[in-house]
Amino acid sequence: MSMTRKILPVILLCIAPLALAAPPESRRDFIENIGEVPEEQQQAAPEQQQVAPPVLEDMETQGTDEQAEPWMEDDDLSFLDDDEEILEVYDPWETYNRGMFWFNDKAYFWVMKPVARGWRWLAPEPLRLGVRNFFSNLRAPIRFINAALQGKFRVAGDEITRFAVNSTLGIGGLYDPAKAHWDIEMQIEDTGQTLAHYGVGPGPYLVLPFLGPSNVRDGIGLLPDIYYSLVPQVFENRYYWIAISTDIINFLSIDKDTYEGIKRDALDPYLFLRDAYSQYRLNLILH
Amino acid sequence: MLDRLLKFLMVAVALSFTSASLAASSPTDDVRTSVDAILVILQNGELDVQQKRADISKIITKRFDFRAMSQRTLATNWKKTSDEEKKQFTALFSQLIESSYVGRIEAYTNEKVEYPGEKVKGKKAVVETLILSSSADIPVNYKLYQKGDQWLVYDVIIEGISLISNYRSSYQEIMKDEGFDGLLNKMQAKIDELSSAAS
Repeated sequence: MSMTRKILPVILLCIAPLALAAPPESRRDFIENIGEVPEEQQQAAPEQQQVAPPVLEDMETQGTDEQAEPWMEDDDLSFLDDDEEILEVYDPWETYNRGMFWFNDKAYFWVMKPVARGWRWLAPEPLRLGVRNFFSNLRAPIRFINAALQGKFRVAGDEITRFAVNSTLGIGGLYDPAKAHWDIEMQIEDTGQTLAHYGVGPGPYLVLPFLGPSNVRDGIGLLPDIYYSLVPQVFENRYYWIAISTDIINFLSIDKDTYEGIKRDALDPYLFLRDAYSQYRLNLILH
Repeated sequence: MLDRLLKFLMVAVALSFTSASLAASSPTDDVRTSVDAILVILQNGELDVQQKRADISKIITKRFDFRAMSQRTLATNWKKTSDEEKKQFTALFSQLIESSYVGRIEAYTNEKVEYPGEKVKGKKAVVETLILSSSADIPVNYKLYQKGDQWLVYDVIIEGISLISNYRSSYQEIMKDEGFDGLLNKMQAKIDELSSAAS
């Protein structure tokens, strides 16, 4: 459950470029469709004369009937659809996944969140942001490697700069002067994205214990991401698990109760998160 | 008192802008007007929750095209439903969308919103916004289309996740198992649950 937001800050748009790359026929559809929207024609009449003069006749004959009933206005908005596909998530293990989802839900509300709330109450926000920056900085090297493997050399360069600047001027990564003073932002790069870059598909959807939504590819990708972060180098043995727990609890204390919102609003939170995760990952992979 | 008056004026001005037929406003202008008006209401300490929701609802209803959103959520199933069902679905769906959108925005009541850019292509546009908070910058993008002299929102994309695509796949799954009536029942139950939690 925390995964969708865990790696949160910088996401580029996937929608805008796709919208711009709309296929030509959809544009044509759209112009034709205007002729069937009486209400719209009236408002936009001067422009219509240039675009498609013939439709004006339609407007005069049938334009006024339907104003009383706005529900019945024209349905053909297919021109809005051309820039997206319906994302179907492959989920053959749904029974197991729903079980694990239920388990995570309980772990979240009964254990992790109460502890996170306690920590939120105890520690001022700047301290908690510092802790988050610290752990994020320890993951800079593996982000650098993943960016480089995907051929994102500018991002890779940024990560090196950030690591150098934040480890020193940022006092071991507690502060983020690279962003604050030089506007160099962190990018989310992980092994799951690298695998996708080399053509590995997501595989079945997979809910991981405590970590929440994932899939086989991203789950495997987590292993190098965890192993090659500097956390195991800095914290050994039992301190490692304390460090990991601190990182997660601290993250949840900063998060603005995203999961609670999803639980409240979604008809089926499992489906909602499953689709949200898949969209989120696809967006990261495309950028 | 003066503060309150100022806020009221800002809302009034914002509202008048949305309704006035300003020739050729840009999509960003339209989004900014609505978002600013919503933030003003959220930050107004004098209003109770119910009043805030009611005021926000008015603004959202003007800016969001719930009919288009419903149609896109049901996708191919839209054509299979009767006019009465469409009406019913749209009415329920608009409440759920509103609740979900406001819930998300509410968490960031005291933050600043930036407008890094817009992309317009013909009658369609994407307006990028960035909610700047101390803990993270959240990109929220609005997809709009032009209807008359107004730009109307037909999708909201938060952190790369499209609200409509998200609903579409969940709802299709529910319809597959429980049919269209089952979906409507679930939506109604959720709305009852939300309104009983609010009061």
